[in-house]
Amino acid sequence: MTTILRPTRGGEVTFPNQDRAIALAKERGADLLLLYVSNVHFLDRVAGPVLVDIERELDELGEFLLAMAQERAEKAGVHTESVVCRGQFREALQQVLEEHEEVSAVVLGAAIEETSVTPPGYLADLIQWLLTEYGIEVILVDRGEIIEDHMP
Amino acid sequence: MAFHKRVLTRRFLVGLALVVGVIGVIASASYARTTQEEVDGYLIEGRLLDAQDQPVVGAVVQAHASGEGEPLAEAESQEDGYWVLLLPEISEESLTITIERPHFESQVLRLGQADLGVLEEEGIYTFGELILKRKITPGFWAATIIFLAVLLIIAFEKLHSTTAALAGASSIFLVTFIAVAFFPELYIFSFEQALTYMNWEVIFLVMAMMIIIAIIERTGIFQWTAFQAYRLSRGHSWLLVIILMALTAVASALLDNFTTMLLMAPISLQIALALGISPLALIIPEVLASNVGGISTLIGTPTNILIGAYAGIGFSDFLVNQTVGVVLALAVMAGYVLFHYRAEWRKQSGGISPKLYAMLEENARLEDPQALWKSGVVFLLVMVGFVVGERFHVVPAVPALIGATALLIWLKPDVHKMITAVDWTTLVFFMALFIVVGAVQEVGLISFIAAGMSRLVGDNLVLAMFMIVFGVGTLSVVVANIPLAASMLPVVEFLTGSIPGASSDVLYYSLSMGAAMGGNGTLVGAEANLVTAGITEQAGSPISFGEFLKVGLPVTYLTLTVGFLWLLIRFVVLG
Repeated sequence: MTTILRPTRGGEVTFPNQDRAIALAKERGADLLLLYVSNVHFLDRVAGPVLVDIERELDELGEFLLAMAQERAEKAGVHTESVVCRGQFREALQQVLEEHEEVSAVVLGAAIEETSVTPPGYLADLIQWLLTEYGIEVILVDRGEIIEDHMP
Repeated sequence: MAFHKRVLTRRFLVGLALVVGVIGVIASASYARTTQEEVDGYLIEGRLLDAQDQPVVGAVVQAHASGEGEPLAEAESQEDGYWVLLLPEISEESLTITIERPHFESQVLRLGQADLGVLEEEGIYTFGELILKRKITPGFWAATIIFLAVLLIIAFEKLHSTTAALAGASSIFLVTFIAVAFFPELYIFSFEQALTYMNWEVIFLVMAMMIIIAIIERTGIFQWTAFQAYRLSRGHSWLLVIILMALTAVASALLDNFTTMLLMAPISLQIALALGISPLALIIPEVLASNVGGISTLIGTPTNILIGAYAGIGFSDFLVNQTVGVVLALAVMAGYVLFHYRAEWRKQSGGISPKLYAMLEENARLEDPQALWKSGVVFLLVMVGFVVGERFHVVPAVPALIGATALLIWLKPDVHKMITAVDWTTLVFFMALFIVVGAVQEVGLISFIAAGMSRLVGDNLVLAMFMIVFGVGTLSVVVANIPLAASMLPVVEFLTGSIPGASSDVLYYSLSMGAAMGGNGTLVGAEANLVTAGITEQAGSPISFGEFLKVGLPVTYLTLTVGFLWLLIRFVVLG
């Protein structure tokens, strides 16, 4: 059984892309692995008292966001697992890929704006890195449509 | 046992006698010295003020026999601007008094034969109040440029605010200690003078509140309350946004806006997604409410803490004079956001699954009910301490420190964790900022602004209120409100002293309203806005600058208008 990895932030903008990943998993008879990566780098830009365990709050937020996607996937009959990580996106992705060798494809959302997990400049590098380092398929989706499919 | 007790009692009594003895010796020595000073010699005294009638501290006053050579006597003007020269004898026909102070024109005064006659006869000669004129030096320009650079760096987020303020303080010292070796006119102030601008009351209050909040935060009370709001609204998102705005405003009045949003944003995002509405329709109104809600208490915003410490305005003063205005502003704000997001209130989902509901409930659970009631009791006592302390001239930092210590003793949390929970970057930001603002105060920039404002508003209190509420409010839209408020305090102090009817501190309240409400204008207007945007971005719902502006800017001017009208009614109409 192969697995499709879908890193997501889980906002409403990403729902169509999540749905596409679910449809792909169903079509290929694959499992779906949902990944949420939180990063508190935004705190470096602000000068306020960080008295809250914000990483824990974001973990809970991530779990909730993935649970919403998981519910939709399971309704579609796709077996799903979810992983919540902290830190840099690429490092988290690397860790998950090393722990889940069965992953055969990664579904990435196209860079819609600068605030995306994968801003435009970063995305091309990331695709190249996934293809060369892990030899896995990278599917780029935008508003629920596949716009690029990179085979290893 | 009884013997041991007697020994302890004796030791205590001996110790007490020693303490009393030492105090007695010091007091009698001090009295003897004072008495001797009063008897031996002739006194020449005066008081130095600047153009805004503020005392000039640290001016060097010297008496010369003929204006040259070694001074016969020397003194320095004190906190209240007073100086006293002590002459052992009068053997000259005339005396020259020179007054020198960096960033002021030097003054030379002469005592002729007749004046010396008065001095000889009465033993004292009084010059009365003397006005020292400000002088624009290269040091003035250096301090001003550094101050503006710090404001711009913070506004454009080129550096972290703390780094920017530290860079500003370091540049001030670099100029005043290194560059001055090549060009003495660049002098700004000494290190000791810089430290006098540090407001330790603010630092200790902020630090103590951080410890208290760090303990309360761990109980999960705010997340639990947000979840109860969700339940109470029964799926009506328009009702939920009103309840959450009210809740955020209250939380923000007791904590600070930044912490409130760190606590409220993640759970609100989950609630919004559960309801099937745009998270921004809940989160943006929340952050707007948090920036306004904090105005009603001394500890609600950093600017209120600064204002309270500077002007001696207490917890109950803020509560009594600002709360009605804040509630009215929140009501107008709620009306606007309900209208602005009207499309969102119609597009709710049919609810969430029992699994997601349970998850939401779990994420909003009360973590430690035992710690909650204990910290609740202490927090309440700290609030009571603020109010009662005002009657006994106890500064708010004292009950806050006692409360923080009491919680550490009572709850026995990991002290290391609690101390590291204190956000030192914020405290360092305040300390560095005090030095930068102190520098522009020292060189006279603030005095020139005060004089300009004074010329503009004259004796018109309403105009002054309008200028401060809307002027500071508009500046706060783009400039960080903490440095802005810190630099405006001496200006407001001058206007409070010079405009009839302003002694009610209404101009300080105007500053409080303007600085906090203005922060709602843009995404960069307040740190709470930026941290909220950071959290929503983590959930795939980024807040763009334009999106925030569309809601924030109209809300800013609506609330500024309501706040101004309230202050007008409270202080001008009702008196």
